[in-house]
Amino acid sequence: MADFDITSGERDGMGPHGTKVGLLRVLGPAHVWALGVGIVLVGEYMGWNFAVGKGGAYAALIACWFAGILYTCVAMIDSEVTSTVAAAGGQYTQAKHIVGPLMAFNVGLYLVFAYTMLEAANAITAGYLISVVATMTGYTGELDQRPFIILVIMFLAWLNYRGVLATLTFNLVITAIAFAAIIMLFLSTSGILGGGIMQHAALFEGHELPYGWIGVLASMHFGLWYYLGIEGTTQAAEEVRSPARALPFGTLAGIMTLLIAATLTWYICSGVLPWEFLGDGVNGSVAPLFDTARLSGSNALIWFLGFGTLFATLASANGCINDASRAWFAMGRDKYLPAWFGAVHPKYRTPYRAIIFLVPIALIFALGAPLDQVITFSILSGLLEYTFMPLNIILFRKKWPMGSIKRGYEHPFHPLPAIVLLTLCGITFFAVFLGYGTQLVAMIGFYIVVSLWFHFRRYRYVDRGAQFTMPWPKPQGY
Amino acid sequence: MAHYVPPKQGKFSQLIDVVVLVALTVGALFVPLWLNLAGSSKSVATPVEAPTWEALGQNTVQAAQYEALGYTPETAHDLILSRFDYSFTAGALIVMIVVIVAYYWLMLKFSESEYREVISEKFGGK
Amino acid sequence: METWNYIEYAAWGLSALFGLFLVVDWLKIDSTYSEDVLTSSREGELEAMTEESHKG
Repeated sequence: MADFDITSGERDGMGPHGTKVGLLRVLGPAHVWALGVGIVLVGEYMGWNFAVGKGGAYAALIACWFAGILYTCVAMIDSEVTSTVAAAGGQYTQAKHIVGPLMAFNVGLYLVFAYTMLEAANAITAGYLISVVATMTGYTGELDQRPFIILVIMFLAWLNYRGVLATLTFNLVITAIAFAAIIMLFLSTSGILGGGIMQHAALFEGHELPYGWIGVLASMHFGLWYYLGIEGTTQAAEEVRSPARALPFGTLAGIMTLLIAATLTWYICSGVLPWEFLGDGVNGSVAPLFDTARLSGSNALIWFLGFGTLFATLASANGCINDASRAWFAMGRDKYLPAWFGAVHPKYRTPYRAIIFLVPIALIFALGAPLDQVITFSILSGLLEYTFMPLNIILFRKKWPMGSIKRGYEHPFHPLPAIVLLTLCGITFFAVFLGYGTQLVAMIGFYIVVSLWFHFRRYRYVDRGAQFTMPWPKPQGY
Repeated sequence: MAHYVPPKQGKFSQLIDVVVLVALTVGALFVPLWLNLAGSSKSVATPVEAPTWEALGQNTVQAAQYEALGYTPETAHDLILSRFDYSFTAGALIVMIVVIVAYYWLMLKFSESEYREVISEKFGGK
Repeated sequence: METWNYIEYAAWGLSALFGLFLVVDWLKIDSTYSEDVLTSSREGELEAMTEESHKG
């Protein structure tokens, strides 16, 4: 046993304790980065600009940076816990070992909903983009977007079904192209290459803070959208060759990439588009980077950013299918959900039943609900999850103090990041309350009902002791 | 402590659980939609008759960008003037805070009791 | 003009094809392998092993 190598190809996921078919360990740090950034980068191509609408351009920048702090805390905390609890299911498995079963069930649902909703939002955006392309190429009829929405979901589900390595390699390529498109647009519009078209001062004149300071608070709501999903890197834990190293590295590199991309995106778009247009993601600017490219007058930029937008939506939907199905699979494996979902494909080594099951769910949301509703549902599930994280890390450090178990990464300044994160989550709850309060309460109502269902019915099928799988000592205080 | 042996769940019972979960999920998304509670609506407080860029509060640069995007003062009127309404009552705020805090409290409390059971089974008694 | 109508049909067709592949493969796998093999994956096995090897 001593000379067993976790990275060796021959054992690839098959353990000695009874696993006959397990997930395949094939991913490296670059795939982790691609999974994290791939899911999120679409947030720079669409959606973040609702923050401009809720408070003006300056408010959106402040929200961008405060949300950046929030997510840096998320990434740090997550890296520490997940470098120790490396299993499919990510935060769900963390919650199971650290807080308790009911919390874990809720966290698992947050994950599945945040990702499935985001997947639906991406498919809707991809369908819209294709209709824009049709109009641009001279099509005068009304294009039916439904087959394209369905095709996006079906194709990516098929890709995910066929194996994780191809899925995330595909993500790596299209995410890199989408990121390069943002850099290219920045270089060619800001005056660094050729003439600049930025007019920040003139465009902001008279509209610095249209709602005053409360608008700054309110825009935190969609400020999350710049980074939402970066925490999904943890879902790959069971498929990464060396989780203790690759996960913290990929996650922290990912958040740095996103901080750059988010700030550049704000700078480019707010310097070209008037805030009222930019801030209305439904009637105004659906895809702000693409609209900026249109005003640049360069055909090459229009096509580059058009493909960037499409690739960003595909990369995001792709990562979402990957993450949501891992979380669903992990809950099935523990019988939090019917055990049927805990199956692994013997040839492709993917959680195939979870992938198939989530296809119709994504289709219902993509075809049946409006975009801002879907986005809000996704953000709310994410926000509930980020509120859980500080509780999680505080309990983690209390039950297993430093030195009692081996951690792959230890985040600095504890408990400061946890407190900052909790405070920022509180502010964001208030921001959501401004304008979307009823939905917030409806959502929490839903989670309360599901929790009662879990506690009083579903939990009877769960094996109590066996769900604690980490080789840790007994937690302190028990 | 006695080892808890969970019952084996049959196919049909598994199916029922899935149906319940899906129904709840779809309900959570669509019930607010049906009740017209979803989304935040912006509205125009004081419409401007016969709008010009100046009357809409746009300087020349801003007006030029709108024109480049294909707008006229008439078509941009609603887009430019509509605003969110951020007024709220203290009661509504308190309800929200209570709901959120109660939710996490419930969550931690139930989780804690379940967790103690898990730990005592896994690590064999006190 | 016409082209986009064909592209629409192509999208419907491809969606059906991917869907068909998923369902056919799923049913094939489910009938070929026993449920015990398919759902044999357990959480944390590799972690348990590395921990053992650290001790060893």
